[in-house]
Amino acid sequence: MFTLLMAFFLLGFGLYIDLKDDLPQLPDSLEKINLSLPTEIYSSQGNVIKVLGQRHPVTLSEISPRFTEAMIATEDSRFYSHSGVDHIGLTRAILRNIRNMRISQGGSTITQQLSKNLFFSFERRWVRKIKELMVALQIEATFSKEEILEAYCNQVYFGSGAYGVEDASLVYFGKRAKDLTLLQAAMLAGLPNSPNSANPFNNFERAMKRTRTVLNRMVSSNFIGSLQMEEALETDLELVPHRIQSNPNQYFIQHVIFNLEKEYGKEFVHFGGLKIFTTIDTSLQKFAQQAVNTHMKSLDKRMGSREDEETLQAAVVALENKTGAVRVLLGGRDYSKSQFNRAVSNNRMAGSSFKPIVYLTAMENLGISPATVVKDEPVILEISPGETWEPKNFNDKYFGNLILKQALMKSLNVVSAKLVSDLTPERVIKTARQMGITSPLGENLSLALGATGVSPLEMAGAYSVIANLGILNEPYLIDRIEDFRGNTLYEHFYFGVQRFSQKSIYPLLDMMRGVVDEGTGRVVRRMGFQHPAGGKTGTTNDYKDAWFDGFTKDLSASVWVGYDSNISMVDRNGRGLTGGGASAPIWAYFMKKALSGKSLVNFPVPEGIRFVEVDSETGYIANISTEKTMEVAVKNDVVLTLPPSTDSIQGYFPSDEPDPEMTPSPNTIEENVLPEL
Amino acid sequence: MKKAGILGNLNGVVFIVVLLVIFSLEIFGKVIEQGVGHYLKWENHTRPQLGRVWERDREKIVAQKKIESILSNLNTQEQSAESIQSFKELFEKLKPSDPQMVSRKKFLQLYFDFPEQLSYKMVSPYELLEIDSNRDWQRVLLTQLGEWVTISFINNQNFPIREVFLSAEGMGENPLNRDIFKGTLEEAGFSQSSILSIADFMRVMKTLDPDAQSDLFPNPHWFFSKNYHVTRVGVKEIENSDEYPPPVRMGVEYQSDFYTEVLILPVPMDISDNLLSQVEIPVYEEPTEGVPPFGDYQGDLN
Repeated sequence: MFTLLMAFFLLGFGLYIDLKDDLPQLPDSLEKINLSLPTEIYSSQGNVIKVLGQRHPVTLSEISPRFTEAMIATEDSRFYSHSGVDHIGLTRAILRNIRNMRISQGGSTITQQLSKNLFFSFERRWVRKIKELMVALQIEATFSKEEILEAYCNQVYFGSGAYGVEDASLVYFGKRAKDLTLLQAAMLAGLPNSPNSANPFNNFERAMKRTRTVLNRMVSSNFIGSLQMEEALETDLELVPHRIQSNPNQYFIQHVIFNLEKEYGKEFVHFGGLKIFTTIDTSLQKFAQQAVNTHMKSLDKRMGSREDEETLQAAVVALENKTGAVRVLLGGRDYSKSQFNRAVSNNRMAGSSFKPIVYLTAMENLGISPATVVKDEPVILEISPGETWEPKNFNDKYFGNLILKQALMKSLNVVSAKLVSDLTPERVIKTARQMGITSPLGENLSLALGATGVSPLEMAGAYSVIANLGILNEPYLIDRIEDFRGNTLYEHFYFGVQRFSQKSIYPLLDMMRGVVDEGTGRVVRRMGFQHPAGGKTGTTNDYKDAWFDGFTKDLSASVWVGYDSNISMVDRNGRGLTGGGASAPIWAYFMKKALSGKSLVNFPVPEGIRFVEVDSETGYIANISTEKTMEVAVKNDVVLTLPPSTDSIQGYFPSDEPDPEMTPSPNTIEENVLPEL
Repeated sequence: MKKAGILGNLNGVVFIVVLLVIFSLEIFGKVIEQGVGHYLKWENHTRPQLGRVWERDREKIVAQKKIESILSNLNTQEQSAESIQSFKELFEKLKPSDPQMVSRKKFLQLYFDFPEQLSYKMVSPYELLEIDSNRDWQRVLLTQLGEWVTISFINNQNFPIREVFLSAEGMGENPLNRDIFKGTLEEAGFSQSSILSIADFMRVMKTLDPDAQSDLFPNPHWFFSKNYHVTRVGVKEIENSDEYPPPVRMGVEYQSDFYTEVLILPVPMDISDNLLSQVEIPVYEEPTEGVPPFGDYQGDLN
């Protein structure tokens, strides 16, 4: 027996010798564990929209006694009588674990849990349990029971991102920990054991069941009577709405944090105690969320999607043209359900929304203008010797001769493909780069139809170059970063670069106004959006992506709708969702709200631009007998002619016969465009 | 045998008693836990700082170090900008990857300290008055993109109130070629034969019309304001220049209370031939007739 006892002590001593180098040092004070300066993220209006690493440490006197009682009754009913180990609880746990041949029950006291939370991993291993126990014994020998309980209450995890009882009270009930009711205290006390499965935001029934268990334990520990328990269960829990669900700024915040971590490291962001002033306009962000919620619900109905099926997703980005400040960045319908940020992801094809880049390149390099006649007909283009490509228009409809402006307004694939074929994809890519597109772009003819992955953020940036008449302001999300003393660590400087001359861009801008006023984006006008605006729809093959990108004088916005799994968006009637039907309404709804009460601001017309009414089929200057007319904006040096039969101004313009093919007569440009600085 | 049996039983009893005592002490006094706890507390300081709490501490330290490093870099940049002595130095520091920022005060100091009106060719002083009129001009940001240098006058929101674009190439001809050399004209590479006393140079100046005079020679106020005493002037052509005709530089030597310096200036192309022709044949004789007042040119002295 003596030998057995000695063996027991020797085993204990041996274990200590073996583990002593791995045992952590305890800090001087348990209060120290809660000292961390939070990093605050601000909106452009100066409001805090997110706090990182926030702790709300409180003293025991600032915690409802009901909560501490509930916690003790649930987690460690003999807390005040043990010295770190609860013999009865431990014996029970050991027997059960031996029976199960695995660690299925902890039998941990509050002190052991504190020890684990402060120092150890959450892995269930015997060695870790022994170390945890030894540190718990030291904690008991070093600190008072009140200090231990206070530290535990302040750092334990309650689910939904809440660490500490004060934070949990705010998250779940919107009140201070000292004001918790018995029912609320019991619910919170049940959470540390199962912060996800008993979370009232995730499963209210299970959370209430757990709460009832906690109340029962309080009764059996004589903290409350049965009557009090019944009364408590009759009261209203007063749960507040889930914070993440009601926060439409999460995608923006996530992207800000991601960028900062990449640039400066995680520690800087989470432990720097920073003030990060961002560009987000929370009012506009809310409008974007509303626009998405409203229209996506109607699309869901149209698609007839069931709950178990994949839901349609959407992304919205809006930029302030003058500065490049990202005012809205919505990466999906609901951050709490999907954290994938579609607003910055470049894995979706741009479709026809890429065509303005093709048209701009063509007008810059092929000497054509919005009044140039092009032929829209089936065509076979040679990709390489022996390999051909036959681009097709939407619905396989072809319009014959028409002017370039109308080709963009109708979003004709054949015309765009011919242009890229004449230009070479490399030239188009060069223009895209000048417009701020950074995603990899494939050097092939299908670039004409936007068969290349881009992000809504990039598209909004590129379109803002058009709205800005050629000036690229790099999109940015962070205005300024300060440390906790107010020292500026980073500040953004506006640096607009004139990438294209104003008079090169304006004809394209005017063509894109045509898209909104009378082209594939006219749904925007039908929805009552009155502000002068330009834009372009985009629908990719088999209706996998629907885009609408557009701009007003001050704001550029990009909207994408699609499935994450890249399946076709075809409704119950077999009709596909297009950029005009799926995305443009979101854009219009958002823009209407964003510009509500603001006066209509037109785009300034640069010097060297003139407006001419032309025949939309022949490109000749319109006269009384012209049936189909269209106003185009062209550079002053673009030569336009009257129809051959008209002799009233003969000799004023060159009277070359218009070439119905791609050759841009009667409109020619001999100008080499240089950046205007 | 019996004694041994009794002793054996006694040992067993003592052992059980000891065991019972230990067990009671443990049950009622938690001696083992407290003993282990206090021992661990006693040797706490010898153990390593491991675990989440200490990791968090380390992360806080890493974050603070990063902040200090950023602040230190910013301070260095600020001090470096404040120590800039001339526009030449400012523009020399400017690289496409390294924009330069100076305060409004520093910019104005450099602007008005830049001898002669050439700084006015970058931005007119009247334009500066206009920029300053709204009282929100805070700083000046200089950036270079390819051939172009942008001078942005920015407000407290870092938004440019006004932007001035300069060709980096064009700037090389004028303001950037202005320099201050510590030493004499000879040490600055001017040959003895092309150096004139200030009095002789003034005679040459008087052969120029007032516009050419102000284009050529710095505003005298600059010398007076700094208590510099101009002594001599030299002229030279830049050797090994790719340009034709080679650019001409003028050196104005002056003395302060402590040292001799030469202000080296580019000579405008349209004046250089005239100037060179007069300087190459220096006039050493004392003037025999009265010299008309400066700027009041009344005819060719030669």
